[in-house]
Amino acid sequence: MSQTTAADGQSEVSAPVAAEADGGRVLEVRGLTKRFEGLVANRDIDFDIPRQGIVSVIGPNGAGKTTFFNQITGLYEPTEGTIVFDGTDVVGLSPHEIVELGMARTYQNIRLFENMSVVGNILVGHHVRMRAQWWQVLFNLPSVRREEKASMDYALELMDLVGLRRAYAEDLAKNLPYGDQRRLEIARALASRPKLLLLDEPTAGMNPAETLQMTQLIAHLRETLGLTILLIEHDMKVVMGVSERITVLDHGEKIAEGTPLEIRTNPQVIEAYLGKQAAGIEG
Amino acid sequence: MGRVLGKRTRHAVGIGLVAGIVVIYLVMVGLANAFAQRPAITGIGVESGPGLLTLGRVMIGGAFFLAGLAVGSRFLGPQDRRERLLAVVGGSALTGAVGGASLGAFMLFAATVPMSDIFLPVTQGAVSFLAFGNPPEIGAIAWILIGTLTASAAGALALLQKRDRSAVLNGIAFTLLVSLIEPILRPILGQVGLREVTAFLYSGGGLTQHAAVFLFAGVVIASWAWERPAAPVRMRMRQMPQANRRRAGLAFAVLAIVGLLVLPQISTGFVNQVLVNVGFFLMLALGLNIVVGYAGLLDLGYVAFYAVGAYTMALLTAPTSSLGGPLTDLGGVEYGFWLALPVVIIVAALVGIFIGAPVLRLRGDYLAIVTLGFGEIARFLLRSEAMRDSLGGPAGVVGIPNMHIPFVGTELVSAGEYFYPVVGFAAIAAYVAWRLSNSRTGRAWNAMREDETVAAATGINVTNYKLLAFALGGTLGGLAGGLFAVQLRSVYPDSFLLIISFTALAIIIMGGMGTIKGVVAGALILVGLPEALREFGEYRYLLYGAALVAMMILRPEGFFPSRIRRAELHEDIEREEEPQLPESHGGPPAETTRGVAVPDTPR
Repeated sequence: MSQTTAADGQSEVSAPVAAEADGGRVLEVRGLTKRFEGLVANRDIDFDIPRQGIVSVIGPNGAGKTTFFNQITGLYEPTEGTIVFDGTDVVGLSPHEIVELGMARTYQNIRLFENMSVVGNILVGHHVRMRAQWWQVLFNLPSVRREEKASMDYALELMDLVGLRRAYAEDLAKNLPYGDQRRLEIARALASRPKLLLLDEPTAGMNPAETLQMTQLIAHLRETLGLTILLIEHDMKVVMGVSERITVLDHGEKIAEGTPLEIRTNPQVIEAYLGKQAAGIEG
Repeated sequence: MGRVLGKRTRHAVGIGLVAGIVVIYLVMVGLANAFAQRPAITGIGVESGPGLLTLGRVMIGGAFFLAGLAVGSRFLGPQDRRERLLAVVGGSALTGAVGGASLGAFMLFAATVPMSDIFLPVTQGAVSFLAFGNPPEIGAIAWILIGTLTASAAGALALLQKRDRSAVLNGIAFTLLVSLIEPILRPILGQVGLREVTAFLYSGGGLTQHAAVFLFAGVVIASWAWERPAAPVRMRMRQMPQANRRRAGLAFAVLAIVGLLVLPQISTGFVNQVLVNVGFFLMLALGLNIVVGYAGLLDLGYVAFYAVGAYTMALLTAPTSSLGGPLTDLGGVEYGFWLALPVVIIVAALVGIFIGAPVLRLRGDYLAIVTLGFGEIARFLLRSEAMRDSLGGPAGVVGIPNMHIPFVGTELVSAGEYFYPVVGFAAIAAYVAWRLSNSRTGRAWNAMREDETVAAATGINVTNYKLLAFALGGTLGGLAGGLFAVQLRSVYPDSFLLIISFTALAIIIMGGMGTIKGVVAGALILVGLPEALREFGEYRYLLYGAALVAMMILRPEGFFPSRIRRAELHEDIEREEEPQLPESHGGPPAETTRGVAVPDTPR
């Protein structure tokens, strides 16, 4: 983890946009409903993320967290409701347009481009911030070469930032150890210079030491990059430790919202979700 | 039976039976007989004529050899040396004996029960050829002996060090290859005036005995020296400074270009036509590689682009076509082709988009089936009566004027002359493929190939990049078609069978999905070699199939795999070169990662 703090995060890898000092909201979700053939996965959810906040969505399995995520990132179209990201209504936009607006995500089950190199994965993430067209590539214009070089440097810096060894740069993504695959997914997401980073269970399958490192990384990213982060988590320690506000979903509905302390003491939440694990949190 | 025989014995017998069945199959389809008269090494066993060692027999022996090799390398288990020797040699000998006995039994059966009515190639003559002209009983015994000997010799190879073994195998393979390409190599050597070399190498269609020994020994020694752990040759090449290595690469490139320039002059018209065909398929495969290898869109109807390019060229330049060859009217015979070329490119690209648009939502096998349909539709349209007035129906379009060199005005007539533009355009296709592969565009395609959903959610406009892949791949295919039309000077619907799509696909798979070097090798092997082996004739596709299956089992990554192999090589080089870095940089080693220089302080 030492690499993360040592990384020169302030230069190239700087805040994508100077955060407006309006203290406004990056994401505003109103009345979001998603039905799949009769099954209601999300029902009438209102949800806000303040700029540069770290917000978590928790809930038991099948609560509709990932469906919620997929609608925000444009993979699913909501049945009803609006999603306003940074002042733009993103309902109906394609996923790549949403990425261009400044949203990036990772996946619960790691989904890398397995047969591409580590830098290759990050460079794909950087795709939306690159300009080279195919015909410019054919003529190998100076602008293309410059962009390629700069992007490569940027990708390597991102590797430093998330704590991936540069020696892995040319290895195939699928050959990385599990924890590093998670880091690579985050680096790929960061490469699109997002304002809002959505992390879908970033510590799933990690041991306690790795989980701690990941938590530190998330906090570090927010500080160095001025990111806003939305987290889906199961691991209570991660959620309680890192998030400023928590939203609890159960059976597709928002049942509670508040600071970690409020959530921890909310009887409805304890009943729906924490009841089973309350002992683990108290201790 | 399982209790009586040991596991190894069962295994050896099993592989022997497989070899026997393969051999019987080769005989029954007539492949072994087709090569009956073609000597591999001339005159062994007799003073004149093809001799005993014809390609037909070498093929059968080769099956036993491979079986022996397979058994030998699996039986290396026992630690004790004598026990291991017994297991390896005994096992492979048993395999060969079983294989030979299977063939022998088949011969006896074929001699008593005539089956040439059903299996045309299994004539009494063929059986007699198999039996070396002797009665089938004697032939059967001979094959058991031959099988035992070849297989046990092959099995014994497994006992050797890896380096020694691969040296021997390289020697055998190379000697056989030189014998196989006699129809190509002999006229070329004759043309250059190396009559002595020709006389030394070949006689009566096969290698001479001296040449065989000489080639085998030469390759074994060379291969052995190259593979030696601290081989001077290889070490020196590895340790060459960057500048020298680049110079060596440049020298190699110059040599290759000179070779390509001279080649059509010294080879025969037949060989040149083969090379031109290889060029067409090279372009097709490079184009298809963009669609399948880069973007992961399995397009089985790729031949449609070849047809579109060829017919566009034909209609625009042939005075007898329905359009009357407007561009030949406009630019004369000299510039007709060159005026039509951009139109061909644009039309092919548009057809690419046209075909791509409806299949945007299809993935994998669904896409393959639909594009397969498109490929057939294209040919049906071309030969349909309804379109006869415009496209010529089954009679096609004839009378396409030859290509002329612009400004010089020389007309290209022979295949040898067409060789140059074909190589030129193939080089352009390769350049396009190479440039795109490692660019923003290429990476977007690769990402799509890996996971379309995630690619979209990572910011790639999947629709646009799919259409771009179809359009650019289609352009290269159309370009190949245009050249094909002008070189043949006529186009017929039946020149655009689906098998062209499959051949192009086979080239890509064989060569190693996604690499350009692999595509070149694949085109030479799959298109060039069968043309050289005229005897293959109808068996060509049988061999394609066998080669592809073997390839998928033994080396699924192709001849020249892209990523993985390269990563391995990089590791190799890095380890050996690292200690030298301070010298060459004259300072502390800069922080580098494979091939990517990293600035000390960003910004």
